Parts: sequence; C-alpha cells; structure tokens
Amino acid sequence: MGRTIAEKILARVSGRETVTAGEEVLAKPDFVIAYDFPGYTDVIFRQMEEEFGIDTVAEPERFALFIDHMVPAATTQEEELHENTRSWGAKNKVPVYERKGIGHQVAAELGYATPGAFVVHFDGHISQLGTFGTLAIGVRRHLLEAFVKERIKFKVPATTRIDLNGTLQPGVTARDVFHHIVRVLGPRSCRGQVMELGGETIAALSLEGRQSINCLAMFTGAITAVMNPDEKALSYIRKRQRLDIEPVFSDPDADYAARHEIDVSDLEPIAVIPPSPANTRDLSEVAGTEVQVGYLGSCASGRVEDLALAADVLDGHRVKDGFQLHVIPTSQEIMEQAAERGIITRLINAGAFLSSSSCDYCFGRMGVMRAGQRAVSTGTLNVRGRMGSPDSEIYIVNAAAVAASAIEGRIADPRPYLKGHGLKGKSDGAG
Amino acid sequence: MALANLRGRVAWIFADEDFDVDQIVGVKNIKIKDPVELGRLAMRQQEPDFANKVRPGDLLVGNHNFGYGHPHYPPMIGMRHLGIAGVIAESFSPGYWRGEIAMGFPQAACPGVLQAVSRWDEIEVNWDTSLFHNHTTGAELPIEPLSDGDRLMLEAGGIVGYLHAREEEETGS
Repeated sequence: MGRTIAEKILARVSGRETVTAGEEVLAKPDFVIAYDFPGYTDVIFRQMEEEFGIDTVAEPERFALFIDHMVPAATTQEEELHENTRSWGAKNKVPVYERKGIGHQVAAELGYATPGAFVVHFDGHISQLGTFGTLAIGVRRHLLEAFVKERIKFKVPATTRIDLNGTLQPGVTARDVFHHIVRVLGPRSCRGQVMELGGETIAALSLEGRQSINCLAMFTGAITAVMNPDEKALSYIRKRQRLDIEPVFSDPDADYAARHEIDVSDLEPIAVIPPSPANTRDLSEVAGTEVQVGYLGSCASGRVEDLALAADVLDGHRVKDGFQLHVIPTSQEIMEQAAERGIITRLINAGAFLSSSSCDYCFGRMGVMRAGQRAVSTGTLNVRGRMGSPDSEIYIVNAAAVAASAIEGRIADPRPYLKGHGLKGKSDGAG
Repeated sequence: MALANLRGRVAWIFADEDFDVDQIVGVKNIKIKDPVELGRLAMRQQEPDFANKVRPGDLLVGNHNFGYGHPHYPPMIGMRHLGIAGVIAESFSPGYWRGEIAMGFPQAACPGVLQAVSRWDEIEVNWDTSLFHNHTTGAELPIEPLSDGDRLMLEAGGIVGYLHAREEEETGS
C-alpha cells in the first residue's frame, strides 16, 4: 500500500520507516513558528520558565517568531508585548521577523516552507505552507509542547484527496475555487484530516493561488492542506529552503479516506455570505447589495496577482465617493514587486487606500465598521463582528470583485470590467 | 488517574450546525482575559439571564462540527466561570476540540445527542464505559472514546499538567 505525503513526512520526523493514519507518534517538528499575540506567545514564554525551568530553547534555528499583528502598535501594551517578543528572541537566539509582512506568507519567502518539512504553529492558516509540499499544522495551545519538548505527541491524520479539473474563467480566482470546494463538499468534509489537492486546475494555478486555497483549509474541517510539490513550487522554494531534505510525494496508490473530483470549468465568482464561512453562493445571487467598505489583503489573498487583478478592474474607473477601499499587500516583498510593476500607482490613482503589510485589517483592529456597514472582503473570515460592530456584515469575495464593488458601491461582478484585459493577473504570479 | 464523569443539567442546546463559539461572547470581546467579565458577557445575545440560571456542573450540548470557524478561548473561559463543566456535541471542529482539551475542558463527541436531550435534562458522560446517559428520559448513547493523548490531557487538567506528566514518565520519577 502506498503512503500519503502526510504519512511520509510524519514517518521521517518520528524516526520511523512508515506510519499509518490513526497512529500516535512522537514527532520532532522541523520548525516551530508563532506570531506574538496576548495569551499565546507571552504565556508560552512565561510557562517555559516558570513551569518547566527552561531558560532558552535548545535548537534556536528550529524556531521563528513573527510580529505581524498589532503592527504598528496602537497602545503601549501592544508595544510592550512586541518588546517582550524581541527580547525573548534575542535571549534565545531565535529570529524575530518584524514588519516584513504576514508571517504565513513571509514564512514561505524565508524558506520555512521547505518541501517535506513538518511545521507547527498555533494558528491554522499556516496550512498554506502546504503549497510547497510542507506539512504545516496549527496546533493551538499544544504549541507549548513544541517549545518545551523536542518531540510532540501527534496522531497521524487521514487524508482526503481532491482533484480539481477544468480551466477557470477570467475573473474567477483561486479564492473562488476554495469556497466552491466548501460549497460542494461541505464545511466538515475533511474534518480532522489533511486536505490534499491536485489535478489540472491546481497545476495551472500560480503558487499565490495555491497559497490562497491551502490557507483556508480549516473551513473544510481539515487540520491542514498539502499539495505534491511540482516544478513550479520547487523552483520557487529551492533557493530559499532552509533544510536540505528531499521532497516527498503521495504515492498513486496511497490510502485516502475519501477521493473527490470537482470540475471548475463553469465556476462563477462566488460570495460567501455572512455570518459563516460555510455559506458559499454565486456572487450573482447577492449582486447589487449595497456595500461601503472593501478589504483586499490578508494571508488568504492580497498577493501580486490579486493586486494586479484589482488594478485591471479599476483601470479607467474610480472608487465610488465615500467608499473605503483598503488594500494591504500580504508582505513587504509583495508590495515591492507590485510597486515595481506599477500596480500600486494604478490602485492609488483609482482611489484605493494602501497600507503596509499587517494582519490588522483582517481581525477588526484597523478599518473597523460601525453598525449597519457592510464590507466586501478577501479576509479569512466573515463571522459577525470580525471587522468591527457585531451589527456590520462581511461578504467574502475575490480580489477582482472587491475592486468592482468599490467602483459601484454595491456587490458587483468583476467580469465586465475585465473585458479587454484577457486573462491578465490570473495565473502569472511570481510567487 | 481517573477522569471524573460529567454529570449535570443541559444548560443550553446549540442547535446550529457549524456553530462558531466566538458568538457566545461576541467577536468584539475575544481579547478579554478576565473570567468574571467573560462570564458576565457569555450568552448575552442568546439569553441575557443565562448566568442566573446555570449552576456548577451544568453541561452544554452542540450540533455537528461544533466550534467551526476561528475558535478563540474566551467564550469557554466565560462558560467555565459560570460553572459549565463540559460540552457534548454531535461532532467537533478539530481546532476547537484541540484547543479546549489543552485547556483541560472536557468535550465528548456523541452522535445522536441532539435528538436525545431537552433543555435542563439531567445527563451524564461516563468516560470508562464511553456512554452518554440521559437520566431524565433513560436514553443511552455511545460516545466516541477519547484518544489516549486526549484522555491524559484531561486527567492532567490541561497542557501544562500533561507536559509535567510526560516529564515524569520520561525520567521515570
């Protein structure tokens, strides 16, 4: 019987020849990653010392910290939290990456997404490192175990394989594909499992698009997502990867818990209506709904091709008077690429408000809405109150639809705005 | 170490599938750490005098994929402050499950539970027999047995106690 990529990675890091879904193993994460957040990193640092008498971690190169939430600080408490993180990093010789962008993206840029590596974080969106054949899992408070012990107890997950076939229509993006998966298979279709994706649609997608899809794995109930790394993924990561290990791939006869095939040829732009990420609809069902706020960014979107697509939609148009369009590139590297390609200028000329990379617009710390306001967003989540008042609403749409809605002040299909732009921005992203 | 059975009344039934627990205190309150404050905020949207009705040992019942979304810790910190002793649901979202087990907060997956309870029924979860009992109606259902790791975590009262137990196991002390 063949093995899944998840089983192969967990076998290596638990020092075993093979492991099988369902077994509990003692696995040594190749990388332990966290961003600083009250109640998480500060508690881990304190408990390490006070509960376990550990002054410094043994292998600092296995650890990485990001400062991407509460950037820039708005209160003295936030800056104190960051300073605590910086000084812990200095004492432990653990790198602290600050103001480089959203950590889940920057972790790929910095090569923590080494193909074949096992990575843990407390936050589930780290699943997007699966784009590079990395098994990256958000373990929540269990992350303390990885700070205190070399090895963590971990149950080998089963894997559901999803093959996507067909060519996406212009104006339909990876973001639409993910939410379509939730619509077709359901919000608990991969519960407790690894979601492994492949097929011709994935092969044709840019790495950026794949990162979007893998980022959101949790909304199928999956504990992470992974793709067999192809040449596109390997050539990007080869010069960045931090470990010299061989990539691994699922065997054709691997034992999957389930296999699904989904054709996306006829997929239209979607809207995920509030208040749950389980509510995927065709955008056309809610087109015309008045919106006052647009957010293009987050670890699930906001990369170069998303920014380019939004700029294509906005070309020759203006953001409607009074509409707040916030565009936050996912990392500084992405912002620099977008600037070099003139995309930033086009967005600003059309009336977008641009900020440097930060997680803060996604979780309602910045750009908050008052009661009665409604947003179109490429953020991760649309639950009530995520972006401000519990009486505001969030419609998740793709980057092009955020831009089209910003022009009209109501939820709008981006496709008419893309006529003449061909497939620009669709699958030519660099990273 | 034996894991004490859960026994108490059904304090609330979350009938929605894919229930996002952050709605218990409201997303705007998920940065609050004070258990007293969180207890005061809990269930305000659903039932403003909830806190006055519950008593220690009471339990919550949920539908499928309970804890879906971006679960945070404050909602159940508030619930525990009010005396809630655990959650029994048709099934759980893995992130929520993992997080609350690490807090030492018992969770039991029990297919069929939603049809087997009414609010304020007296119910029990027996970990050793992996059975759910409704003492009010006499109904009995199997629960999904805890994994060894989850059971150790609950017996130790959460992740810190669990890691201490692992240290003792490894050093043989």
